[in-house]
Amino acid sequence: MHRWENKTIHIKKRFKLTDDTYILVLREHIDFIPGQFIMIENPMATRKPFILGYFGEDTALAIQVKGKGTRWIVNQSVLKAHYPLGKPFIPPQGKGITIVSPASLTFGCSMFRVYGTDVLLGSRKEILTDIPFTYVIGDSAFADKIREIKGHYDYYVVNGSRGMEKFVYDTVGEGVFVSLEEYMACGIGACKGCAIQTKDGIKHVCTDGPIFRGDEIWF
Amino acid sequence: MVLNLRSPLVVASGPGGMGEYMEFIDPKALGAYILKTITLHHKEGATPPRIRAGKDFVINRIGLENPGIDTFVEDTVAGKYDHLFDRVPVILSLGGDSPDEYKEIARRALPIIDRFIAVEYNFSCPNVEAGGLAIVSDRMVLKDIMVSIRDILKDTFLIAKFGIEGIFVEQASEMVKDTGWNGITLINTIRGIVKTHDGYLRGGISGAVLKPIGMRAVYEVRQRHGDMFIMASGGVYAPGDVKDYLEVGANAVQIGSALFKNPSIIGDIHEGLSDKSS
Ligand SMILES: Cc1cc2nc3c(=O)[nH]c(=O)nc-3n(C[C@H](O)[C@H](O)[C@H](O)COP(=O)(O)O)c2cc1C
Ligand code: FES
Repeated sequence: MHRWENKTIHIKKRFKLTDDTYILVLREHIDFIPGQFIMIENPMATRKPFILGYFGEDTALAIQVKGKGTRWIVNQSVLKAHYPLGKPFIPPQGKGITIVSPASLTFGCSMFRVYGTDVLLGSRKEILTDIPFTYVIGDSAFADKIREIKGHYDYYVVNGSRGMEKFVYDTVGEGVFVSLEEYMACGIGACKGCAIQTKDGIKHVCTDGPIFRGDEIWF
Repeated sequence: MVLNLRSPLVVASGPGGMGEYMEFIDPKALGAYILKTITLHHKEGATPPRIRAGKDFVINRIGLENPGIDTFVEDTVAGKYDHLFDRVPVILSLGGDSPDEYKEIARRALPIIDRFIAVEYNFSCPNVEAGGLAIVSDRMVLKDIMVSIRDILKDTFLIAKFGIEGIFVEQASEMVKDTGWNGITLINTIRGIVKTHDGYLRGGISGAVLKPIGMRAVYEVRQRHGDMFIMASGGVYAPGDVKDYLEVGANAVQIGSALFKNPSIIGDIHEGLSDKSS
């Protein structure tokens, strides 16, 4: 798979998934394996990482506006980026489910498309768009749903807040994988900025992850 | 001894890691690639979080995460970095946590020293307890270290990298001259602090905000030493920044944090420089 530095990408469609999270649908088709991410240039001094995904047939990103950099990105129609980065996620045998927050809905789509997992969206906010997956709103509905699906799958991949990931890991235990977010500067293993402390020592989210086994992580 | 670089553009130690950016760089555009600082012992680095960015700066406390000199020498002998040596001149960056470590690491590097066009000693990392900044604040200790290293690495082009904390660049450059070292890199990051969502990040500031400070450092040292080899470091993002540094007296210019903004920046700057001069 070719890694592109500084490619220009075009946003062909943009819409709101929640009041602060946008789906950006790209004009280009990007080759990637679920779990891989893209680093996007913005007015800040470092690029920002976003997990690659799909919306329907199209390559798409889900972006939550958290500050000036992300606010700027969701308003552009042309972006500069390098991709795909990170370790591809290869799931274990069996049937899986991908549990996402609005900011990783497009990742959920890629897990559905590539590995045929079910997808569950947990959100604290109202969902403003039609989506083809089950979703629950609010913490207690999310908790009930996780308890309900416990034991029904061979593996669970969670990409959401640390709280969500911890809850699923604590409830389900074995077979849980989590996608971690850490501030990144390079995205290619050079700067050592994205380090996390795991049970096996320091790991780097951009090259060892972003998806890790739940039992490696200190929640 | 002279260091002839095919281009004045050099990748700075740290942001460039162990050569990862080479996949984005046309070797012709690059004078040299400086590896991340290696210390005597393996270092896990600082506990996360380690890095944040603003519009004009990056702050980091990586804490010199590195494999340690012995593993590095083994890896080098085993060919791990051959892809880099084959394409571009490489500079080794060394550091330590105590005067003895600064000297010992020079001895341990001897078996592979010929593979590097120069060694840059990092006397200015703000993110380790006892090394870097702490060493330079005692002039006697610093001088002793530099004399010893000069003696161990007799035939190596030795560059000392100083920041603006712990020692004035004027004094640092005198030390370089007096101890028979070959060049100086100015500057390193400057200590800063930013708020994070759950506390503070204390680290070294790099990026655009450093440029006027780096310019002054290069200027002052050039005023005093007409023939000293000077590499500038701090806030280089565009061809104009390189020109400015060369104008106040730098022989070469390092590019660090700008790689984070644009991994292809070396090529872009190289092109910009040749456009304007033609
Ligand atoms: C993430 C990061 C890691 C760094 N690590 C080192 C290092 O290992 N050794 C060193 O001499 N300087 C290190 N530096 C300092 C840079 O080499 C450079 O001097 C400084 O960042 C200023 O230049 P810039 O504004 O172009 O980044 C590091 C800087 C950053 C941002
Ligand atoms: S972001 Fe630079 S090493 Fe991971």
